[in-house]
Amino acid sequence: MMEHWFWLLLTVACVVWYSSVTIYVAVKGMRDIRTMLENIAAGSRVGSADDPPGDQSA
Amino acid sequence: MNNFTWFDGSIVGLYLLATMIAGIAVRKYVGNVEHFLIAGREMNVYLGIASLAATEFGVVTCMYTAQNGYEFGFAGATPGIITAAAMYLVGVTGFCVKPLRDARVITIPELFQKRFGDRIRWASGVVIVLGGLLNMGVFLRTGGEFLVLVAGFDIKYLEITMSVLLLSVAVYTILGGMLSVLVTDFLQFVVMSAGLIIVTILILSQVGWSTLTSTVTAHYGAGGFNPFVHPKMGWPYVLFNVFLNLAAVLTWQTTIARLLAAKDTPTGLKVYKGTSFFFVCRFLIPGIWGIAALAALSPAVVGGNTLQAMPKFLSTAVPSGLMGILIAAMIAADMSTDSSYMLTWGSVIYNDILAPFRKTRWSERRGLRWNRSIIALIGVFLLFYGLWYPLKGDLWTYLGVTGTIYLSSMSVLLIACSYWKRANSWGAGAAIIVGAIIPTGFLVLEQLPSTREAAAAIGPYFSGIATYLLTGAAMVIGSLLKPSPSEISPERVSR
Repeated sequence: MMEHWFWLLLTVACVVWYSSVTIYVAVKGMRDIRTMLENIAAGSRVGSADDPPGDQSA
Repeated sequence: MNNFTWFDGSIVGLYLLATMIAGIAVRKYVGNVEHFLIAGREMNVYLGIASLAATEFGVVTCMYTAQNGYEFGFAGATPGIITAAAMYLVGVTGFCVKPLRDARVITIPELFQKRFGDRIRWASGVVIVLGGLLNMGVFLRTGGEFLVLVAGFDIKYLEITMSVLLLSVAVYTILGGMLSVLVTDFLQFVVMSAGLIIVTILILSQVGWSTLTSTVTAHYGAGGFNPFVHPKMGWPYVLFNVFLNLAAVLTWQTTIARLLAAKDTPTGLKVYKGTSFFFVCRFLIPGIWGIAALAALSPAVVGGNTLQAMPKFLSTAVPSGLMGILIAAMIAADMSTDSSYMLTWGSVIYNDILAPFRKTRWSERRGLRWNRSIIALIGVFLLFYGLWYPLKGDLWTYLGVTGTIYLSSMSVLLIACSYWKRANSWGAGAAIIVGAIIPTGFLVLEQLPSTREAAAAIGPYFSGIATYLLTGAAMVIGSLLKPSPSEISPERVSR
């Protein structure tokens, strides 16, 4: 088993990292979604789709 | 025989319902084109990581990375390690991506316009869209084949099943744009990750690490663990993948779109750093599935198509209940990729290819209507080009050519645009032309009987390396040939 320690280490790292990140990102990501939608809604209350167009590429 | 039951079907159905509800619900937040294309630049780190990971892992990815494991052993994960290293370094240094994000553009060609002019912007847009759409053309059919093999669906329902799936994706992407894509990507990331992790743990416990390593040793010797000594890989393979994957990290529009949607540059760089190790998982985890297939299946069962080895293995190795999670995970992977890719190529068509036709400023409402129409048309194209009209010939060579045309020229343009003041439109144009000619020329050499042997002697890796180097040279030479602004009269100075 120790002959291919690099690949064993990498495989274990993948499973552990991916499991941990999935849980962490799942929790934090929910918060990000809420904040993103709140900020967009707050910004939209200032203007509307019929406003004079700004820079289309900015 | 397969292990897909009604219980598994209900898991899949529940997941699809949740995705559609989430994707459609956020459409009310879309008020303008910026919301639609880049989520109003309000994307934060963790949502960015989830979205980037979900987007860059589709069923096609799973199939070909597993095939790499089947054909090359652990060494087949080399491209993933290289991509992870490249993405991390880019995230730490901000190489090219910092100037790109600081410019507050929506697409890469938009940045090129500021340095190289309208024509280069338009040509870049065409290169990106052609490369991207042709690349995406194989996703539906390959994804459908996976589902047929793993879940035991009747193959005659493949087109209908994948059409329904694409229509579902198209609905929320058209309605909610990047906002829907981010929210559904997040959900799909969770489901996809759960499926990948659970199945991997199952395989490792069922097959065992010793069996995996001894199988690779028996088939490929030391080359199965070290790409430099593998007879079909070697340093040309590694070097080519360094060029290819660095170029992809810098310029693959679906990856860059997450950077451009980030709320600021530091957030975008954190997304890159935070997601980088995922690309190791992207290759190694399915690679292990492929090695397990190599250990478990006889060549007679696999047949001539090693791309199907992994799904054939999973169809009998994964028990009912878990099969539903696996299918949901793979459908999640496919939907997140399809939605992101449709939106991304649509954004380049709207922002860059249609730019010359937007002589007067369009209202936000008109812009949204055009974006939604473009995505719908992309969906129609995918259905006919990639699903109902099966492609013929060597698909992977075809993808390799279109991918290299895109990545070689766009990465050279981005590096020059970001760091070389002398770079100009002549160099950019030359780079685009050379970046197209060499891979296409190699493809022609491979096809002609009189030059086939020569092409085989050169090989795809040296051809690919030459493409990047010569494209860079074309940028330098072309730029130096154009008189610099100080050499011509002030009245004639133009962009």
